[in-house]
Amino acid sequence: MKNIIEIKDVSFQYKGSEEGLLNNVSLNIAQGETVLLCGASGSGKTTIIRLINGLIPHYYPGDYSGTVLVDGHDIKNTELYDLAGVVGTVFQNPRSQFFSVDTDGEIVFGPENIGLNPDEIRRRYNMVVNDMNLENLMGRSLFDLSGGEKQKIACGSVSALLPNVILLDEPSSNLDWKAIEDLRNEIIKWKSEGKTIVISEHRLWYLKDLLDRVIYMENGKIAGDYNGDEFFAFTDEKIRSLKLRPVKIEEKYIDKFSDISVGKTVQTDFDVYGDSIKLKNFYFTYKRRPYIIRKKKLSADDADILNLNMPELNLPKGSVIGVIGRNGTGKSTFLRCLCGLEKECTGEIIYRNKKYHGKELTNISYLVMQDVNHQLFTDSVEAEVMLSMKEKDTDKCNDILERLGLLEYRDKHPMALSGGQKQRVAIASAIAEGAKLLLFDEPTSGLDYSHMVKVAELLRELAASGSTVLVSTHDPELIELCCNHIIRIDDGKVISSDFCDCAMDLRIDKDYNLDNRLEEDNDNAV
Amino acid sequence: MDKKKLTAKDFITVGIFTAIVFVVEFACGILGFIHPYIVAPYVVMIPIVASIPMMLFYSKVDKFGMITIMSVLIAIIMFVTGMGFLGAPLIILAGVVADFIAKAGDYKQFKLISISYAVFCLWICANYFPVIVTANSYKESLLEEGYSAEYTDSLFRAINSKTIWVLLILCLIFGYVGSYIGKVVVKKHFEKAGIV
Amino acid sequence: MKIKLDPRTKIYMIFVVSAIVMMSATTTFLWGLKILITMVPIVLLIAEKRYASALRFFALYISALILTFYFLSSESTGLIRALLTGYCGIIAQFLPAFITAWYVIHSTKIDEFMAAMQKMHVPDGITISLAVVMRFFPTIKEEYGSIRDAMKMRGVSLAGGNAAKMIEYRMIPLLFSCVNIGDELSAAAITRGLGGEVKRTSVVELKLHVFDWILILLFSIATVIFVLNKYILL
Repeated sequence: MKNIIEIKDVSFQYKGSEEGLLNNVSLNIAQGETVLLCGASGSGKTTIIRLINGLIPHYYPGDYSGTVLVDGHDIKNTELYDLAGVVGTVFQNPRSQFFSVDTDGEIVFGPENIGLNPDEIRRRYNMVVNDMNLENLMGRSLFDLSGGEKQKIACGSVSALLPNVILLDEPSSNLDWKAIEDLRNEIIKWKSEGKTIVISEHRLWYLKDLLDRVIYMENGKIAGDYNGDEFFAFTDEKIRSLKLRPVKIEEKYIDKFSDISVGKTVQTDFDVYGDSIKLKNFYFTYKRRPYIIRKKKLSADDADILNLNMPELNLPKGSVIGVIGRNGTGKSTFLRCLCGLEKECTGEIIYRNKKYHGKELTNISYLVMQDVNHQLFTDSVEAEVMLSMKEKDTDKCNDILERLGLLEYRDKHPMALSGGQKQRVAIASAIAEGAKLLLFDEPTSGLDYSHMVKVAELLRELAASGSTVLVSTHDPELIELCCNHIIRIDDGKVISSDFCDCAMDLRIDKDYNLDNRLEEDNDNAV
Repeated sequence: MDKKKLTAKDFITVGIFTAIVFVVEFACGILGFIHPYIVAPYVVMIPIVASIPMMLFYSKVDKFGMITIMSVLIAIIMFVTGMGFLGAPLIILAGVVADFIAKAGDYKQFKLISISYAVFCLWICANYFPVIVTANSYKESLLEEGYSAEYTDSLFRAINSKTIWVLLILCLIFGYVGSYIGKVVVKKHFEKAGIV
Repeated sequence: MKIKLDPRTKIYMIFVVSAIVMMSATTTFLWGLKILITMVPIVLLIAEKRYASALRFFALYISALILTFYFLSSESTGLIRALLTGYCGIIAQFLPAFITAWYVIHSTKIDEFMAAMQKMHVPDGITISLAVVMRFFPTIKEEYGSIRDAMKMRGVSLAGGNAAKMIEYRMIPLLFSCVNIGDELSAAAITRGLGGEVKRTSVVELKLHVFDWILILLFSIATVIFVLNKYILL
């Protein structure tokens, strides 16, 4: 079959970056193929995507040699806007890739840009909305949509330009299981239309049976080219040795963790934990009842309006607790209430016979946000940690930084660090503040396998040193790697709270301590 | 490709920073709402606070037109939000002149950027134009109804066609001062983080 | 009843009202005319089913008027009265422009506004930038919300009363976020054809309907009468 994408002897190096990112890469992709690009972060997957959609060299300048032909266009000599109807790209971050404010405007954005006449645009709009089942999303503000819904609109917006080649750059990074299912259906749809699809991705399980080819990238080179079925038949060991996220064991976990209806009884017997953290009366709602004279405190009686309804819950101290449940069922609300961000929340935390409620919660718990950039304020790692201390104590600060492997970066600007390092700076500031409860909101979204393992190890390490870690996640791998307790939330209620077997036991691997692992992480950081 | 032509990315950059500058104006405006005529927050705070995003913006400007477009956008938004159209010529003029001044230094010489930003800050005074015109007209009607000139003067002491010159000069001064503050902050954060 | 106005009519409305608020009414007739003009956007708000805001604006405007007339008819002395006169004067003077602007902003979709600008031959660059401004207001709100949360958790919301730090802690993460989002947004937008040589089109069709013409006529006549009555026939 005819090759629609031809990459010939391409080497590329981003401007201002020392290392060559792509090293003499050649790749042909035939019309109608569905191809996966996989490999660790920094292996060059995204660079390949950018070569095909022309962002390299037109948007990201650098040293470039070789040629890329896409559907007969020589990318280097074609203006980006002329590629709009040829190549379409769905990006990683649903929040940043939409241009309009409402969904309708987003679907017609591309066709309007290339100056199609209004009748044709309307025809395409209707076609896309019908084909992709977007009816119920139309006419809404993009800011009110969930990440998954935004990603659906992004797919629709790309479709409206009728490109022959569709690229997806880590499209599932910020999605939950349900949204990933939708994404899979969209890919199936495109495949049935005969589009050529190239997907760069860390999460692999949802692509099973969709792929014709799998390209494995390593250090800017193509290190493997497999048939899709062959790839999905690889053993776990083989996948792990490639440092990829699992291809199939996950499905078992998706079933196990996402099937909320088979919840076990709520664990109330907290004595078994010895030392426990007790949560009481966590009630919260986003829709307040109108009140006239005095605000009534929320209680269990308001069950019909409660977004969070937890009369009592015990958390085992010093463990990593996974918080799971579908999107929009109250995971984030739970975490926000725990760290005192919702003033209206009535809950109190009882820890070692001391009660904390309201604003005091901010003192004993700390949330590491999904977008950690929001919580870094100062101009150096050291200042960031010091900011959290009531009494500035340089020694203590150094201790904490050392523990988290950040000591050598103490004078660097937090924003100059890699994603994993930023996360650790946030953790360092939480420890400096004396937080007992460390909360993590989706800490591994968009990470490759080895970085995820590092996060898992870090969480275990934090728990082992006495902190109690709560982590809300959609990554079954992460749960498997580090959680020893699972809380399942549905409709604002805890429907089960259980022990869980954790696959990774830090104690076994005594020679391999945290410092080594963190050093490795720092080496990997750009 | 013509290097001097504005690209889609430039338009987006202009849009983002205009939005930020407007949010700064709005935030300062709320602080100044103790009495509608309290002007200190406007001509002092806005040039200084907005200098941080603006100096970051200047570091991204390399072609003629970006600052001009920003001033046009500000004029449009002021018009649409009901703050009148009398200030539009001043805003756009300030934008164009600021653009030319910065261009003279190829958008790199800080001395010229400082002056450029100071001139650009004159747009803030456009907020007062409708008030001045209204004030004159309002004063007339008060005088006609038999109020003393002294009383009506006191009502419009802060803003009238004489004090506007003082306000314009204050904007220039604090804009100039602000550019240094903005530069320090950009250096402390964005240059250190390798963004600029 | 839903009244769908052309964005150009709305822009004209803002223009007229912004002009009229700057001329103070000196006679009962002119006041009547001014109040009539102010009622138009309030009625339009009701037609948009925005009853609460219509009522709020109506109440605010009427009470400002009553207070102004009351205080102007008696001897206004004393600080509080003087202040109150100033406030009410301002509200009575400028509120019509704000009501109109509020109505226009809340009843116009951004692509309609863009289409109107395209029709009025505003260059694409300005239209694109303005669309980005509109998209970024809610983005800044979202980002700022997260930053405020983060500050609360760290207990640095007030930064120990240091105003410069208060601004720095808010502004720096906000700028980093906005610059990042902007970079990703630019990449996503240009792969969908933004910035091409061709003139952008718009799927929004603009046509001046009967109601548009009625309003344009009404506002034009009002302006002419106002100017004639106040400045020429006086």
